[in-house]
Amino acid sequence: MTHYDYFHPRSALSITLSVWNALFLREAVARLSAGRIAWLWLLLDPIIQIGLMIVMFTVIRMRSVDGMSIEAWLIIGMLAFLFFKRTSGQVQNAVGANRALFAYRQVMPIDALLVRAYLEGFITTLITIVLGVGGSFFGTSLLPSDPLTTVVVLFGLWLLGLGYGLVTSVASELIPKVSVVLGIVSTFLMLSSGVMLPVNNIPDPYRGWLLINPLLHGTEAVRHSISPYYHALSGVDVSYIYRCAIVAVFFGLALHRHYQAKLTSL
Amino acid sequence: MIIVDDVHKRYQTSHGPGKWILRGVDFVIPPKVSVGLVGRNGAGKSTLLRLIGGTDQPTKGTVKRLCRVSWPMGFGGGLQGSMTGRQNAKFVCRIHGHEYDIEERIAFIEDYAEIGYAFDEPVKTYSSGMKSRLQFGMSLAFDFDVYISDEATASGDAAFKNKAAKAFKDLMDRSSLIMVSHGESTLKQFCSAGIFLDNGKAHWFDNIDDALKAYKDSRNP
Repeated sequence: MTHYDYFHPRSALSITLSVWNALFLREAVARLSAGRIAWLWLLLDPIIQIGLMIVMFTVIRMRSVDGMSIEAWLIIGMLAFLFFKRTSGQVQNAVGANRALFAYRQVMPIDALLVRAYLEGFITTLITIVLGVGGSFFGTSLLPSDPLTTVVVLFGLWLLGLGYGLVTSVASELIPKVSVVLGIVSTFLMLSSGVMLPVNNIPDPYRGWLLINPLLHGTEAVRHSISPYYHALSGVDVSYIYRCAIVAVFFGLALHRHYQAKLTSL
Repeated sequence: MIIVDDVHKRYQTSHGPGKWILRGVDFVIPPKVSVGLVGRNGAGKSTLLRLIGGTDQPTKGTVKRLCRVSWPMGFGGGLQGSMTGRQNAKFVCRIHGHEYDIEERIAFIEDYAEIGYAFDEPVKTYSSGMKSRLQFGMSLAFDFDVYISDEATASGDAAFKNKAAKAFKDLMDRSSLIMVSHGESTLKQFCSAGIFLDNGKAHWFDNIDDALKAYKDSRNP
């Protein structure tokens, strides 16, 4: 009997699961222990953003948008958008933030990205529930009339954030200075997503162009699922969000497969 | 047993593919044979260790690990600066599938590293010697068949070096080492075989003394 007869490598699946477990706990601790009240900031950040916009719209005396009070319109749009924004942002930076851990051959960049997306989806869901229920106490009805559609759309936006983050994470690691371009793209996506600028009054050829942005479909569909009296933009299609998300996720996974060695050795 | 088969490696630089660092490296490390890697600075010793440890992939060729191989120890690799020593240790236990006995292993690592309260401080505040101690303790917490050391003890103080030497000696009956060291006596003490890296090629010697001699001859022809 030689020395190595007892060598039974773990299965690929069991290694991956233990890596995900380790990364999840590492990322969760990092998110919740960055500073003394990190968990409070997770809530305050969206509240402050939404609050500022509500003040802004009140100043210009806008009371409602297409049959929905301005508060509800902003809160719902913003929370829906956050599912995309927070997920894509966290995923995009996951490679750099876990660089040292790729020294262990068990840990791949894609593991860090998937775990981050999962954690961010979890955190954003909690924030959404807290703000949704909290907003309802202040007289703004935020409880969905069609909860199933709400969940389906929010999940689609999360998936879109994952796909976008997968692609931009590779780009931002491998192409120098591309983060400047990505910043512009992300601002453009936000402005055209109907989060804070109502798009219903935009005339036809341009409205069709805006509908290329899947985020617009998301924000409008979620508002409609909360309140059936909301006049959503015509042409909004939930399946379009998923089609875009699936293309982005598969393209991102392919990029990661192809550039895996480069990402770990940078 | 570790089989390195026709391994080529070059890195991407800011102006296209860099020069070949390894050009067709072939060797087999038999079970329980400790190997010392020698060669001048920039010969590709650390690169080869990273390839054997699986941290990096060869541009061409394959590395087969038919045993449990540690990650490359040395230069603080594998420590995430924003995490504390304890968090790093827990992470490593978990990825190696030791969630179930994590407390014993953390206790072992904390005890072995002897860095006191700093174990609960972020690793970026550590000196290089403290990082070495932590890394060394982390790798000893697992039963690897082969430990990879890239000057793992170079930045430690005398006490730590003695402790590490003793640990290596205790490991000898169940494990082996692949090490890079510029200390000739260290290599002679722990390694039986040697690999001399020169010009992108690896030359295998069954006796470490012959590898050191070949290295010396190449410097003073």
